[in-house]
Amino acid sequence: MLSQLTVAILNGIVWGLIMALIALGLNMIFGLLHIINMAHGALYMLGAVVAWYLIEYIGSFWIALIVAPLLVGFIGLVIERGLIRTIEDKPITTIICTFGIMLVIQHLVLIVFGGSPRRISPPIAYRLPIFDLQYPSIRIVIALISIAMMIGLWLFLRKTKYGLWMRAVVQDREMAVGLGIPVNKVYMWTFVLGSALAAFSGILAAPIVSVEFMMGREVLIMAFIIVIVGGMGNLEGSVLAAIMISLIQGVGALFVPPSIATVFALAFMIIVLLLRPQGLFGE
Amino acid sequence: METKKTKKKVRGVLNREVSRRDFIKTTALGAAGLGVSSWLTVPFTYGAEPPIKIGMFNEYTVFATEYGYWLGKVGRTAIAKLNAEGGIAGRKVELVDYDTKCKPDWGAAMFKKMVLEDKVDFIMGSIHSGIHKACFPLAMEYKVPFFSGGAMTYEFTGKDAIPYYIRCHSHAKSQAIAGWKFGFDNLGKKWTFLVADYAWGHSLAREFGSRVRAAGGKTQEIMAPPATADFIPYLQKVDPDTQVLFTAFLGSAALGVLRQTVEIGLHKRLQRYTVICCTEGIGQEVVGKESIGAYYIEYHPRHLDQVPKELHPYEIAYRKACGVDADGKEVGNPKVTIAGSHMFSMWIYPYMIKLGIEQTGWKDKRKNADLIKAICSLNLKPGPWCPLGGGLLMREEDHQGFSDFYISRVEPDLKLKVLQRIPKEKVIYEPEVDLRKAQY
Repeated sequence: MLSQLTVAILNGIVWGLIMALIALGLNMIFGLLHIINMAHGALYMLGAVVAWYLIEYIGSFWIALIVAPLLVGFIGLVIERGLIRTIEDKPITTIICTFGIMLVIQHLVLIVFGGSPRRISPPIAYRLPIFDLQYPSIRIVIALISIAMMIGLWLFLRKTKYGLWMRAVVQDREMAVGLGIPVNKVYMWTFVLGSALAAFSGILAAPIVSVEFMMGREVLIMAFIIVIVGGMGNLEGSVLAAIMISLIQGVGALFVPPSIATVFALAFMIIVLLLRPQGLFGE
Repeated sequence: METKKTKKKVRGVLNREVSRRDFIKTTALGAAGLGVSSWLTVPFTYGAEPPIKIGMFNEYTVFATEYGYWLGKVGRTAIAKLNAEGGIAGRKVELVDYDTKCKPDWGAAMFKKMVLEDKVDFIMGSIHSGIHKACFPLAMEYKVPFFSGGAMTYEFTGKDAIPYYIRCHSHAKSQAIAGWKFGFDNLGKKWTFLVADYAWGHSLAREFGSRVRAAGGKTQEIMAPPATADFIPYLQKVDPDTQVLFTAFLGSAALGVLRQTVEIGLHKRLQRYTVICCTEGIGQEVVGKESIGAYYIEYHPRHLDQVPKELHPYEIAYRKACGVDADGKEVGNPKVTIAGSHMFSMWIYPYMIKLGIEQTGWKDKRKNADLIKAICSLNLKPGPWCPLGGGLLMREEDHQGFSDFYISRVEPDLKLKVLQRIPKEKVIYEPEVDLRKAQY
């Protein structure tokens, strides 16, 4: 039982960190642009698909981990400049627009990549012995990369000029414009960063799950739940909410059927929303 | 009467005067030429009976697309071959083709569209049991024969059977009858079923589990959502004394469960057993070396060298027509693997329809009942249109077909090697219904 509990906690934290990274990109775009990006799951999937192609041709997971988010970030740039920018003040229209983008990306991948799932082999095959069970060490490495990425993002937002601009725009857009902050540029780079984060998470998750054109669908729903529970626009809240939900699911699955444990996680969301409609850490 | 003005015009164009005799001669020659050329290029003469229309729908987008791709491709190839061979009873066969989007409501809407707008005579396709269930009332209402592409719910030719539904392939119950004994005798007596939490997974766990328990074995059931990505919470719950882990998931979840079983080291203390449905259309190289040693129940071997030798002439021609190589990959696209245990249904159905029409003199839907009875009495020997081991035996009572099964294991070279062939005679069970008495 002790081994099962250890693995359940470890696995809950690992999944929580991956989910947190996905939710961070989604929450960042919402916090700044007030856009509910329905294409976020598709960008997550696109990251994994681009990485799969890169690994096929280059052979290195680590190079793909750097290059694929840049490529998807560029696609995010095209989407923001070409589509989102013209409708950014119309929330309903942006939902429909990003939903359309999601469908376009999914079906283009279906045509080019095909419908069958593909595999990205874990770059580290070592399995960590935990009592009588084993735990794939790649998951721990992925968790550590996620933590590093989050710390990097925190430093970017707190210690750089661009981060300062972004926080300023979130607090008061008009004042930011008045003080000469290039708000449009800030919007653009936020969307690009959010897209690249989605892609980055997709590549990190790919050695655990399989790469396929619909892989973003389930993830998107969970990412929205995390953002809502953590508080819309609150990045730290997203991280904590992701870990809490994953732990409820993982540890709960030891005592009840795992499907019921998922129900517990959703019930937790409902209770949070009843008590704090703004989310756990929202203002 | 010809006027001076028009005569001038004709002369102006042709630079000579055209007499009535010339006109008739030229027109007759032209008509004859047109007729001969039509006869030479089109196998179906003008003025012949209208074409026979077959509707096809498959999972081309959203989910289970690896099935849809191959079922669609094979269906289109079979119709083209049928037309090249002269159609059915001198009539051309037309195919209309739609996407089910893997959604029962959409699938049912397409079924209706094919019947009411495209005026199809027969419908075939789809592997989605929910879609089939949604189309049952429509098949009955419009009296349209509906041929299953690959839906595996046993009850469709069991207690829920309808006279307009025909299935030439296996289902959860026949798979269990074919495969449980091999697993019980060779892999172990204590089984854990880790299956998708919906009808298909439940019925596999029920059908295999009841037989294992009846033989004195022990079973455990764990249900997981069909789209599960992380199986570690589920795999942790596998009883420590489990000897056989039977899994049933589709698509990426199927890959996930096979790989993650190895990742946490469970494969060292148990045997993995599953049905080929889980990795149809997915090459074992995609699953990876983690799949080595896993046992599968196949309904038609993926690799040509594993197909029984006596079937090779038909199998080679079938593969060539459908663009499949000896390794079970698409010709020119080795990353695409066949759905070999399912797609044969779309190859055989057009031929079954042809035989049924020829036997009954079917002209239109008024003779559908006779046609269905004829089709469901067929006993096809292996041949160009039936490359299946043991041929295909259709049963009139429940409209269920039977052919041979194969137990395979993933070898170190990632090939599915057939270990045992289960003849169809060993799989035939007592029919639960008798559709011979049904009202059409």
